[in-house]
Amino acid sequence: MALQEKSKLQPAPDDGLVVRIRGALLSQEGVLFLILVVSVIVLSLNTDRFLQPSNLLTQARLLVEVGLVALPMTFIIITGGIDLSVGSILGLTAIMIGIGWQTLGLPLELAIVLALAIATLCGFVNGLFIVRVGVPPLIMTLATLALYRGLAQGISEGRSVRGYPEWFTALGQGDFLGLPTQIWFLIVGVIVSWVILARTTFGRTLYAIGNNETGARFSGLNVDRAKLLIYSYSGFMAGLAGWIFVSRVTTTRSDMGSGLELDVIAAVVLGGTSIFGGTGSITGTVIGMVLIQLLKNGLALNGVTQDATIIVIGLVLIFAILVNNFIQGQRQKS
Amino acid sequence: MTTATLVKQKTSVTLRLSHFIGVALAALILISYYVLPFVVQPERGPSDIATLTGGRGNNEFGLAVNGLVMLPFAGLGALLLGVWNLLSPRHERVIALLLAVCGFVGLTYYVIFFRQYLETSADYLSSMSVGFWLMLGACVALVAQVAVPRRPAERDYTPRAVLSNQEMVLAAGLILLVIVVGIANPRFLAERNLSDVIQGHAYIAVAALGMTMVIVTGNIDISVGSLVGLLAIISGRLATDTGQIWLAWLAPLFVGALFGGVNGFFVAYMRIPSIVVTLGMLSIIKGILLIWTAGSRVVDLPQGFFLAQMRPLNVPMPIWFMVVLTIVVALWMRYSGLGRAMYAVGGNKEAARLSGLNEQRIVFQAFVLNGVFVGIASVLYATQLTIIQATPPPNLELTIITSAVVGGVSILGGTGTVVGAAIAAILLNVIRTAMVFINVSPFWLQAVQGLLILVTVLADLLRRRRQRR
Repeated sequence: MALQEKSKLQPAPDDGLVVRIRGALLSQEGVLFLILVVSVIVLSLNTDRFLQPSNLLTQARLLVEVGLVALPMTFIIITGGIDLSVGSILGLTAIMIGIGWQTLGLPLELAIVLALAIATLCGFVNGLFIVRVGVPPLIMTLATLALYRGLAQGISEGRSVRGYPEWFTALGQGDFLGLPTQIWFLIVGVIVSWVILARTTFGRTLYAIGNNETGARFSGLNVDRAKLLIYSYSGFMAGLAGWIFVSRVTTTRSDMGSGLELDVIAAVVLGGTSIFGGTGSITGTVIGMVLIQLLKNGLALNGVTQDATIIVIGLVLIFAILVNNFIQGQRQKS
Repeated sequence: MTTATLVKQKTSVTLRLSHFIGVALAALILISYYVLPFVVQPERGPSDIATLTGGRGNNEFGLAVNGLVMLPFAGLGALLLGVWNLLSPRHERVIALLLAVCGFVGLTYYVIFFRQYLETSADYLSSMSVGFWLMLGACVALVAQVAVPRRPAERDYTPRAVLSNQEMVLAAGLILLVIVVGIANPRFLAERNLSDVIQGHAYIAVAALGMTMVIVTGNIDISVGSLVGLLAIISGRLATDTGQIWLAWLAPLFVGALFGGVNGFFVAYMRIPSIVVTLGMLSIIKGILLIWTAGSRVVDLPQGFFLAQMRPLNVPMPIWFMVVLTIVVALWMRYSGLGRAMYAVGGNKEAARLSGLNEQRIVFQAFVLNGVFVGIASVLYATQLTIIQATPPPNLELTIITSAVVGGVSILGGTGTVVGAAIAAILLNVIRTAMVFINVSPFWLQAVQGLLILVTVLADLLRRRRQRR
């Protein structure tokens, strides 16, 4: 106990190794990492297919869409907001790529750029209403969840677009330097987001907003600009995920990405980002999304039906928050 | 009791002319409906109106002949509320609102009838024209009665203040929409269509009642959509397997309360944000549903099971449920201890706790009640069709939340009434159907839904901002 107090007061190098390990384990990321390791071991006991590199690479490929969107979602949830519209933005992007290319006759490259611009605009609109009008993020993005999906449905009128050229599908199905191509997007996204959140004043601003928005405002931080940026970032990433999604499944439908927001929020919250804002990290989010994807796949390979894995994820989500609450409580006590 | 308080009480129940308006108008509707036809056409003899107007031979559109039965209900409702209005000195706002709803029902049916009269020149209507003009007058006056202050200067009745009343705006929007679309395409006003429109979404209105409670306490429940699916299957399975119809009708209520209780436990006592809890619950329920039913459907339901297809007094059961539950819950939310406490908790949690309210238990109870209402909604949904699908309508939770929010329930908690939520649920379905009738692709529906939420929320925020000034 005394040791722990000491470590709190001065996290200096003269801390005992035990204390530091204990601190790392007590952090949400530490607990999650343990859960991850344990579940990987348990899941690989029964089947040898689970730890095969080819299987893991396939899982990595499937992970990218949720992963890309989870990064800005971490930012947003850290500021105490939420973005429920990401799945719909993904669907709208997919439709815009398909419509721009086939119906409007644009070159595919241009259609992609246009779709990404529209996705960013969608996120920007969310941010604009949240910042300028003061609509709560939950309700604003709930409205645009319906609105953007509705636009995707209305514009496409339920038709799907197929027949994309080979180079287009390479992004979602091909490999680059031995890894699935889209994984590189995720890796770059993770590194950039990690640096932004952990190493820049902008990142500190996000934590400040989440802890005390009024306080952040009075300290002269540009809260409005920060929020506008992260919601636009969220729109852009959802658009990017949409592009990759279309490329992976080589077809465009307006119901793409519905329910994505749930997977994304589950990954972020599982990663230890408090839904009340103020705490969280990209590391945690990465572990969270990997854990969810591996659980899904591992359970499936162990003969659990796909449907049952949904239950497991729901349970894990609630359990993770209970553990998090417990740890926070313990920390406050000590 | 001192003399002063007695005097005060006496003055507060002083009857004014306006107290009698509701009663008088209700009487007018009932008389014009039941008495006048027999005075004008004595040779028909005493019978009910449905028989009297039963000849449908020249009724091309199958218009709302039986829908006429709604009118005496509106009259009866107005009568009862008007009497209450006389007896109780307080609460005139809710009463006036409900009177307005009754008048609105009457008015809607009047509009439908008048169209039918113009289109088909059916003679049974011409014989009743005096009664119809009386009815129109009564209904308009009933609606207008909402603007009659019983104690002058207590409320602001300027156009701006009336416009800031969400229920009134919605009701006006609804009636306007029905009239406009009806003019564009008369088939929209056909009885079968209109009653389908209202019936089809009645279960959503019922679910929106529970959602209103949850949102009023400052929480949200996004697991309701899949819960409706699960409870509908439970109800259907019980009916086919045990044959106990009552069990099949009641079990979903208890199971719904159970799931609501679990949600409420985690939200209230474990202090996990409601969005996360219900998100987790959403996947759990969806998983249970998929495993348990394996995507199959429930067929061969026993004869007496179809609650929603019954028509007591010639009014479809879902409409009964919707109207009665909305009125009961509206009054309950306004006058009961728990109902008031929900508003208090949603308005200011800390203040509610400091004034001695058990904030955790109230939130818990709101979630349990929500579960019960979802249960009722599921039974209505399950008994609507002859086959129960394992997949609930897509985005059901979104439609339910939209109804509550558009109905004026502020997502920030603390305000909103269930009447608005019920009207909004109907409005949503009217919009959906109207789009088909004016040749707009239904694919745009969700976009309209989203815009509607956005507009409502913006209006709500602007209103709050103005009030603060």
